[in-house]
Amino acid sequence: MKIAVCAKQIPDPALEITYNGGNINRPDEQVLDDTDRYGIEVALQLKEKFDAEVTVISMGSLGTEKGIQQALQMGPDGALVLEDDSLSGSNSLMTANVLSELSKKVEADITIFGTESTDGYSGVIPQQVSRMLGVPCISYIKAVDIDESVTLTRQTSTGSEKVVMPSNCVLSVTAGGVEPRYPNFKDIMAAKSKPIERISIADINYDAQQNLEFVDIKDVSTTKQGEKIIDEGEGFQIIIDKLKELKAI
Amino acid sequence: MKTLIIGEVVDNKLSSGALEIVTKANDLGLDYEIVTVGSEESPNIGSESFKNTYMKCSENKLSLGSVADKLKNIIEENTISLVLAPSTYVGRDLIAFLSVDFKSSQISNVINFEIEGESVITSNSINGGESEYNSKISSPNKFLLIRPKSFEEAALDLNINFETVEITSEDPEVFDIFIEEKTGPQLEDSKIVISAGRGMVDSENLSLVQDLASKLNAAIGGTRAIVDAGWMPYSQQVGQTGKTVKPDVYIALGISGATQHQVGMKDSKYIIAVNKDEEAPIFQIADLGLVADTLSIVPKITENL
Ligand SMILES: Cc1cc2nc3c(=O)[nH]c(=O)nc-3n(C[C@H](O)[C@H](O)[C@H](O)COP(=O)(O)OP(=O)(O)OC[C@H]3O[C@@H](n4cnc5c(N)ncnc54)[C@H](O)[C@@H]3O)c2cc1C
Ligand SMILES: Nc1ncnc2c1ncn2[C@@H]1O[C@H](COP(=O)(O)O)[C@@H](O)[C@H]1O
Repeated sequence: MKIAVCAKQIPDPALEITYNGGNINRPDEQVLDDTDRYGIEVALQLKEKFDAEVTVISMGSLGTEKGIQQALQMGPDGALVLEDDSLSGSNSLMTANVLSELSKKVEADITIFGTESTDGYSGVIPQQVSRMLGVPCISYIKAVDIDESVTLTRQTSTGSEKVVMPSNCVLSVTAGGVEPRYPNFKDIMAAKSKPIERISIADINYDAQQNLEFVDIKDVSTTKQGEKIIDEGEGFQIIIDKLKELKAI
Repeated sequence: MKTLIIGEVVDNKLSSGALEIVTKANDLGLDYEIVTVGSEESPNIGSESFKNTYMKCSENKLSLGSVADKLKNIIEENTISLVLAPSTYVGRDLIAFLSVDFKSSQISNVINFEIEGESVITSNSINGGESEYNSKISSPNKFLLIRPKSFEEAALDLNINFETVEITSEDPEVFDIFIEEKTGPQLEDSKIVISAGRGMVDSENLSLVQDLASKLNAAIGGTRAIVDAGWMPYSQQVGQTGKTVKPDVYIALGISGATQHQVGMKDSKYIIAVNKDEEAPIFQIADLGLVADTLSIVPKITENL
């Protein structure tokens, strides 16, 4: 079994995001999107059971490759990454085109994603890739049960349902379904010697186009001049009075 | 502009997300039809005012790929240029599949849009709702995922007159279908919503929230942190990856106020927040903020109501 698993590098979420035109400014040092840790964990559990080969795939400006290292530290065998200046400001379809080609390059049977990235959160790339690859998409997975076969529990709008993992498919994994492992010192050192193959757009079959034109970004953050009261024992009464005033009771 | 709205059948009716889009489509005077997806026998989803096709799927199959194939035909045959779907699980899968078929990227998290000639100008919320991003789409096919609660729900007389298309396919089998029980007031339509965060300290303390909610006839929500921790089912998560609510009163108990949470509740009419940390970001959007310990204040409110 061969598995491709996504790792997106994003600006450290603790820092403020700034934009240049319509694009997020990406510092040289980017970190692994936490959302991808869940997909990587699923890939590693499959690797342990089925002796699968796990390759991290990623697109975007590579910089110091810190995020890629963080992904490899968890346990994948290597990485295939694509950096190309022409891809900056990619729409989801362009990204999906690249990721589906990377999945093909590693001949993946299973390609694993997060459900949505922290910075982009278009939340459609896994489904797009499955359509491009012509394989089923098992989206919004919230639990994984690995036996001789693999049973995936999907989150649905009304509850959940189960699906047996097909031998060839795309998965998207929600946060919280599995517990991502933490690398120890040995894992961190071992990651440094794992192979990272770097390719460019000329090495893949790329035919997506930009159909979205950036118009502008407006700051619409609201900070209200609300009241802030430090509770000195009567706080409950202040809330009750307010609820009465609002006719909520 | 010829438009297709994708709706779902929820409790035998057309989903609220679709009805919200209908309002906007009517405002803009769009020429639209609706395709509804579901597995129920004879739902009330038809209307005199638009054409409705029902894609009836087996609930035991993962058939959205096959639904997308059929949608593709409808879009081509009727030369539809604008396709709108609510940002739900089903909506996201279908719009993603179609965007590949028509080689035209979708836009997610759309909160408003306008027509400009043959183009569509969209506003979508980014960065946890702190910024609004405006784009123009001029490609022949345009695919938009609309955030819930962006528009008011249209009031329509729904009936059972629609065309049914049975979806049969070789798609993966689905089993052990579990429907979460819905009890008490629902998040989407309650006038009061009380949400809990990690500041309720322990899952057992959620009974305090429950007691208060019963007295106020309020729906209960939560942050992703406590949903991930298993304190509450996902259906009660409020925020970017959960539900969007706009009640008259939103009470946030022990919630830090991460942007991903704010985006799901900041448009509530009145926000009350209780947090022991004076600097918690939730206070920036609260109308009334109490710097207090949830565990001591919540039972006192309930007792004195
Ligand atoms: C892609 C993505 C999507 C996300 N989607 C969502 C989403 O849909 N919804 C969502 O909610 N989050 C979402 N998150 C997570 C979000 O970033 C926050 O991590 C989460 O909202 C924090 O939940 P919390 O406020 O319960 O916990 P914390 O951030 O841990 O805050 C707990 C708060 O409780 C206070 N507190 C502690 N003890 C007490 C006490 N005794 N009395 C009073 N106050 C107390 C603390 O001061 C603190 O402010 C998402 C994150 C990502 C990356
Ligand atoms: N540039 C990228 N490199 C690797 N994986 C990505 C990239 N962009 C998106 N993904 C994957 O696709 C998922 C959905 O992303 P998004 O559509 O941005 O919400 C993410 O959780 C990642 O797993």
